[in-house]
Amino acid sequence: MVSPMNKFTLTSITFLCCLLFSINNVIAAENASAPANSSESDDFKWADYKKPWMDDVQIHGFLSQGLFSTSGNNVYGKSKDSVSAGSTEVGLNISYQALNNLSFAVQGLYRRAGESTGSEGEVTLDFAFVDYTFFRHQAGRFGVRAGRIKNPWGLYNETRDVAATHPTIFLPLAYYERSRALYVSMDGGQLYSDYNTDVGNFTFKLNLGLTTSDKELLAAITANPAVQGSLTSDLSLLANLNYEIDNGKYIFAFSYANLSLGYGGEATDPYIDFTSKIDSFMLSAQYNGERLSLTAEYALQWNQFNQLPTPYPGVKIDISPVSEHWYVQAGYRILDNLQATLRYDSSVQDISDRKGVAFNQSQPFLPAHIMFTQDIVFGMRWDITPAWMLRAEYHRVHGSSTVSAFDNPDLTQQAKDWNIYALQLAYQF
Amino acid sequence: MDFSLFNTSSTRKKQHSFCLFMCACLFILSSHSVYALEVITHPDNIEQLKQLEQQQKLASVFAMRTLYWSNGEKIRVIVLPDDNSVHQRFVKEKLQLFPHQLRRTWNRLTYTGTGQAPITVDSIAEMQELVNQTKNAIGYIDNGESHE
Repeated sequence: MVSPMNKFTLTSITFLCCLLFSINNVIAAENASAPANSSESDDFKWADYKKPWMDDVQIHGFLSQGLFSTSGNNVYGKSKDSVSAGSTEVGLNISYQALNNLSFAVQGLYRRAGESTGSEGEVTLDFAFVDYTFFRHQAGRFGVRAGRIKNPWGLYNETRDVAATHPTIFLPLAYYERSRALYVSMDGGQLYSDYNTDVGNFTFKLNLGLTTSDKELLAAITANPAVQGSLTSDLSLLANLNYEIDNGKYIFAFSYANLSLGYGGEATDPYIDFTSKIDSFMLSAQYNGERLSLTAEYALQWNQFNQLPTPYPGVKIDISPVSEHWYVQAGYRILDNLQATLRYDSSVQDISDRKGVAFNQSQPFLPAHIMFTQDIVFGMRWDITPAWMLRAEYHRVHGSSTVSAFDNPDLTQQAKDWNIYALQLAYQF
Repeated sequence: MDFSLFNTSSTRKKQHSFCLFMCACLFILSSHSVYALEVITHPDNIEQLKQLEQQQKLASVFAMRTLYWSNGEKIRVIVLPDDNSVHQRFVKEKLQLFPHQLRRTWNRLTYTGTGQAPITVDSIAEMQELVNQTKNAIGYIDNGESHE
C-alpha cells in the first residue's frame, strides 16, 4: 500500500518534472528560431544554446565533519569517555532561474547522525520545488513554491544542516535533533511575500502540507526506542513573519506551527491508535553589529498526545504537556574571521513539571532529569577562508531531555550533569 | 637666529600658501579615495543604476532583496570574495553594511533554494569584463587599483 505521503511526494515530483520539461521545450523553441533566420543556419553552434542556460544555473554545496567527546551521555555515536566522529553532513544543490519569474531548486543531503541514522548514514531529498512569482516589483514580490520546501522555523531551521550558517556546532536546544523531522521541511506548498520599505524588509512565508517524520521523533514522543511502527503526517501548517532593519542588522521574527501526526503499524501494535496535534510558536530577535552579535529566541509548544500506551497493559492515556525552549546568545568577532560565542540555553518538556518530579513519581523507573536540559556553551569559530571553517566548543549540560534515545538507549542510565567537547571542520561553496 | 625673522609678511604669505597647497592635496587625496570605489553596470543599465542610487537601493540590490531593474529584468549581481579588501571596503563604505551580514542573507537564499547568490569573481579585471559582457549586471571596482 502506498502511504498518502509517498503518493503526495510522487505527485509533486511528477508535476515538477512535467513543468521543467515544458519550460525547456518553450526555451528550446525560442532558441531554435534564432539561428534559422541567420545565414549560418546549417551549422549547429552549441555555444549559442549553452550560454544562456548556464548563466541561470547555480550549483552550491556544503560538507561538515564533527568530532565529539563527552562524559555521562552519548552524542552522535559512542562519544562517552571516548571520541566519536558520528556527525557528517554533505549537501549539494542546483537551482535554475528559467524565467524572470520562474525557477527550480533541488538539494540532496547525506547525513550521518550517530545511531539514529546508523554508521552508513542516510540520503534524503532536502528540498525540491518549483517557484513561481505572480507579482514582482522593486519594492517586493508575491509568489508560490510547490514541492518539498524547508520550514522557516525561527532563525536557524531553514539552513540547520549547513554548518557555516549557525555560530555553534550544536544548534540551540529549541532546534534539537530529536524533533528535527517535525520541522525540517514540508511536502506541499508555500506562499511567500517580500515587501521592502524605508523602515525595513518584511518577509512572510506560509507552508502548507505534510511534515516528514523519523524514528528519532517517535522514540522521543514514546520514550521507547523499540517502537515498531512509524509516524505519519496529516495536513500541517507553518508560518513565519520576518522583519529586518538595515538589511539584517536587526532581525525580528515570529514563527507559528500547527502540526498533525498519526501512526502507521500492525493492527496489534499498542501505538496503533496514537495521534498527535502540536501547536507551537517561536519569537526571535537578533542584532548583528560589526563585532557584536546578540540573539534570543523563545518557543512554546502545546503538545496533544492521544491514546499513548502506558506500562499497564490495555491502559492508554491522553496527555498534553506544554514544552518551552529559550536561549540568549552573544557572539563577538575578535577578528573578521574569528568569532567567540557564549550561550545559555534552556529546554523543558512540561512547564507544569519543570524539574520532572511529577513525571518521576508516575514512572519511578525513569529519572526526573530526562524532562529538562540546561546548557551553557562556549565556542570559537575560525573562518580560515570564505569556504573553510573550523570551530570548537564546550558544553556544560544539566539534564538529558535532548539526547538521542538511540545513542543512549537505556533511559534509566542517562546522566544528569555532563560535558560535551566538540570540534568541527566545514566547507561550503 | 632671531625668532622674529619668521614673522615677516613674506614668510606668513609662504606659510599661508603652503597651507592652501596642503589642503588642496588633502582634498584631492580624500576625494580620490571616496570616488575610487565605484558601482559599475552593463552599458545598457546606466540610467537604471542612477535611479537605484537616487532611491538609495544599492544595499538592497547587493543583499538580493531588490531583484529587478525598473524594466522588470532580473538584476545580475557580481561580487568579489568575502575576504577581498575591496569587497570589504565597498560593503562598509558604499552599502553601510558588514560582509558577514550579506553572507548570512546569501547563505539563506542559496541553501534553501529560495534565491540565487551573487556570482563571485576573483579580481577587479574579471569583474569589469563580466559586468561589461553581461546584460543587467551590476558590480563594483576600485579605480585606484584598476589603474595600476
